[in-house]
Amino acid sequence: MSGKPGYHGRILEIDLSSGKSRTVAIAPEDLDKFVGGQGLGMKLLWDRLKKPGIDALSPENPLMFIPGPFSGLPVPSSSRTCVVTKSPITAPLTSEHRHASTVTYSNMGGFFGPEIRFAGYDGLVVIGKARELSYIVIDDDKVSIRDARKFKGMRTDAFDRAFLEELGDRKYKTVYIGPAGENLIPYSSIIHTAGRAAGRGGSGCVMGSKNLKAIAVKGSGQPGVADHERFLTALEKARRALYGTTYAKSWAEQGTARAIVGNSNAGTESVRNYREGTFTEADKIGGDAARRDVWVRDFACYCCPLACKKSGVTKGKYGGVVHDGPEYETGVMLGSNLMISDMPGLLRAIYNIDDLGLDQISTGNVIGFLMEAYEKGMIDRKFLDGIDLKWGSVDATLAMIEKIAAKDGVGALAAQGVANLSRHIGQGSEKFAIHVKGLELAAHNIQGNQPRALSYVTASRGACHMSGNNIAMQNRRAMLDSTGMCFFPTFEPALEEPMLELLSAITGHEYHQAEFEKAGERIFNLEKMFNYREGFRRGDDKLPDRFFEDAFTIGAKKGAVLDRKKFEDMLTTYYRDRGWDTVTTKPGEAKLKELGLENI
Amino acid sequence: MTKENGGTFTRREFLKGVGVGGGALVLFGQFGIHSAAWALSGEATLKMVVVDYKKCTGCRTCETACSSRNKPAAVGGKELPGLGNPYFANIKVHNFNPDVDVPNVCAMCADTPCAKACPVEPDGKTGRRAFYRDDASHTMHNDASRCIGCGSCAKACASQRTGVIRPNPETGKPERMCTLCGGDPQCVKRCPFGALSYVEVRRDRKFYGLGPEKIAAELARNWYGTAEFGGVK
Repeated sequence: MSGKPGYHGRILEIDLSSGKSRTVAIAPEDLDKFVGGQGLGMKLLWDRLKKPGIDALSPENPLMFIPGPFSGLPVPSSSRTCVVTKSPITAPLTSEHRHASTVTYSNMGGFFGPEIRFAGYDGLVVIGKARELSYIVIDDDKVSIRDARKFKGMRTDAFDRAFLEELGDRKYKTVYIGPAGENLIPYSSIIHTAGRAAGRGGSGCVMGSKNLKAIAVKGSGQPGVADHERFLTALEKARRALYGTTYAKSWAEQGTARAIVGNSNAGTESVRNYREGTFTEADKIGGDAARRDVWVRDFACYCCPLACKKSGVTKGKYGGVVHDGPEYETGVMLGSNLMISDMPGLLRAIYNIDDLGLDQISTGNVIGFLMEAYEKGMIDRKFLDGIDLKWGSVDATLAMIEKIAAKDGVGALAAQGVANLSRHIGQGSEKFAIHVKGLELAAHNIQGNQPRALSYVTASRGACHMSGNNIAMQNRRAMLDSTGMCFFPTFEPALEEPMLELLSAITGHEYHQAEFEKAGERIFNLEKMFNYREGFRRGDDKLPDRFFEDAFTIGAKKGAVLDRKKFEDMLTTYYRDRGWDTVTTKPGEAKLKELGLENI
Repeated sequence: MTKENGGTFTRREFLKGVGVGGGALVLFGQFGIHSAAWALSGEATLKMVVVDYKKCTGCRTCETACSSRNKPAAVGGKELPGLGNPYFANIKVHNFNPDVDVPNVCAMCADTPCAKACPVEPDGKTGRRAFYRDDASHTMHNDASRCIGCGSCAKACASQRTGVIRPNPETGKPERMCTLCGGDPQCVKRCPFGALSYVEVRRDRKFYGLGPEKIAAELARNWYGTAEFGGVK
C-alpha cells in the first residue's frame, strides 16, 4: 500500500508464461501525474516497453485493464475501464523498427473497472503467453489461471452465460474475447456483459495472442478517500447535477442513436464509405425507429443515471435478441456507411460482430471499402469468394463478417484492416481506404468538419473520433478517460464543479480545471513520446485523398470538401501550439519540462 | 404509477394499477411478484420497498446507497455515511443475459420461514429466537449474541423465498436483512430512475416470494421471448 488516498497503490500482474501472479506497488508520484485509466496505463506501458519495435503480439506486450480514482466509489457514471496495450493494427509509413506501432487504449463501460477496485487493485496487467487457451479468475487476493480449452471458438453471447455457469457465482464480472480474438484478427474487441466492448484498436487481438479467453473478477473491498465529508457533499452535488434532468432523460430516451438522424441531417455522418455525409434513409435506422420497433428496456452502467444502453428484440428473417443498438457508431458503420436501412438486418450485423468479438467500427469500415472496390470493378465476385457485396446488402454483409472472423478466403485479407487490404488491391484504392496510421475512421465524416479531421489525424491510437477536435478537448478527454468516469455525462456543465471537487476529495490532490487539463496534457504528450519513439512523424498524420477530392453531392453540406492547404496549416498551428516540432512532431524540451516529463 | 418518496398506495389504487386480469407482465413489471399477491390479500397494511422491474436499469446505485447508510464509517471519531461499498449492501441487483436486472431485497415475509428455521430456543420474555422479526417495523433481525451461526435462516430463505439472507463468510451469522433505514430507505431515495418505491401495501398477506432467477426468467420471456438466458438453467 502506498498510503495514497483514493488508491490501493498497487496493480495485479499476472504472468501467463509462468502461471504466477504478484502485486506490484505503483509509485505515488505516478498516481499524481498519470491518475489512472488511460494515463496510468500509458505510464505502465512506457515503463515496461523500454525500447521501440516490440511486437504487439509478443508475450512482452502488457495487456492492461485500468480503472480510475472514481472507480469503485458511487460517483455517477464512474463505470469505465480503460484497456491499454501496444497496438496490433497501427503502423508508421516508415520506421527502422519492424513492429513499430502506436499505443492503443479502449475505454469500456459496464461493471468491470469498479470490480477491479473492489478486488483491491488499481489495475490488472497481463503479460506472457499461456501454453493453452486459458482464463483468469480473481477473487480478492486469490488468483488462479485455468484451462479454457473447452471454450475454444465459443462466441461471446454464449460464452457470457457459459462462463458464469462454470464459475458458479454470478457476482463475477467478466471480460472475454470471441473467435475473432482467438484467430488474431487485428481489430478484435474485448466484450463485457455480451453487449459492451473495448472495441477500438485491437485489444482483443492482443488478448488472443496471450491465449487468454477471459478474465473474471470479484471483490469485497474498496479504496479509501482523502476527505470523507467533502466527498459525501460533492457526491450529493454531482447527483443533483444529473438526476432527473432533461439532459439525463435525453440519454435514456435514445442514447447515442439520436445522432444517426441528427448527423445525417447535419452532413457529418459516414455514408457510403465516407463518400457522403448524409444518408437519405437514416430515419429507418435511427433512434425514433429503434424506440418504436426494437428497444424493450434501457440499461445503465455502474452508478450511471443516464442509461444509454438499449436492449430489445427484432422479428423476421434476421430477428432475435438485441443486446445493444443501434448506437451511433454501430448504427452508422453497419448502416449508413454500407447503405443498409433494414433495421433487423442492421441489428443482426451488429449482434454478430459483437458475438464474434470484432470491432464494430473497423469491421463496418472494411466492408464499406470492399463494397466500393467491388462497385468500381477493382475486385470481382471471385475475389469475394462469390459474395455479391453490393451496397445495402444485409446477406452479403453478414457473410463477410463471418469470413473476417474466421480468416476464411477473402476474410483473411479483409481481416488485415483497410490499409493492408487497399495495398493488396492497389489500383488507386488507397484513395478511399479510410484510415489513419492503419486504424479505420469511425462514424463521423469530415469533408465538412475539419476540426474532427484534426481529432482523427492527431489522436494517439490512429483514427480516433473521441480524441478531441482541438488541443483543449484532447487534453481534457485524455484526463477524463483516466478517471474512470464516462464522458457522456460531462457535457452537462453543472457536473463540472462537483466532478473536480470529487476528484480532489478522493485523491487529496487539488484538481482545478487548469490542473485537470494539465494532467491530460501530460498524458497526451507521453502517448506522443511513445509513438514518436516508434517512428511516427508528421507524414503519418495523414488523411486519405478522398477527403480532399470527393465533395459531398447531397445533403446540408453538399459541395463540402477539405482544403489541403488549410488542413496542413491547421496541423502546423496545432503542433506549434502543442510545443512540438512542426516538421517532425517531436515534443519540445520546454513542453516536456513544463509537464514534468523531461526525465522520464 | 409508482410513487416515490414514501407515497402510499391504497388497495383500490393498486388493483387499478395492476389491472387485475390484465396479465402477469403488468403485475411483475410494476410491483414485483411478492407484493402483488400480498396486496391482493386484502389484509392490513405495511410499508416496504417494492421494485418496478421495467424501470430498473441495473445501475446498482441502490446497493451503494444501502451500504452507505447501513455500513457507516468512523471518521475522526464521528460516524458518517460510508463510501457505499456494494459488498455490504442489503439490496442486490442481479444482472442477467439478455439484459434483465432484478434488485433483490428482503421481502419481509409475513410467515417468516427464516425465523421459523432458527434452531435457537425462544427467549422466555420476548419469545424471540436468535433470528426474529421486529413487531413494529416488521424488519428481520439477528441477535448475534445468541446466534450459533448455523445458517438455517439463510437456507430457508434461499430454498423458499428470495435468497437475500447471506451468512457471514467468517461467523456464519446472517446478514443482508433490509433495515428500511429507519423508515427512510436510501435505495428508494437514491434510485436515479424511480424504480424503487417505499409504499404502503397489505400486511399479513399470503406471500409468494421468488428468487431473482425465477423473476428474471419470467421477465426475459415476456420482454425478449427467450427461454434460455443468463447462465441459469
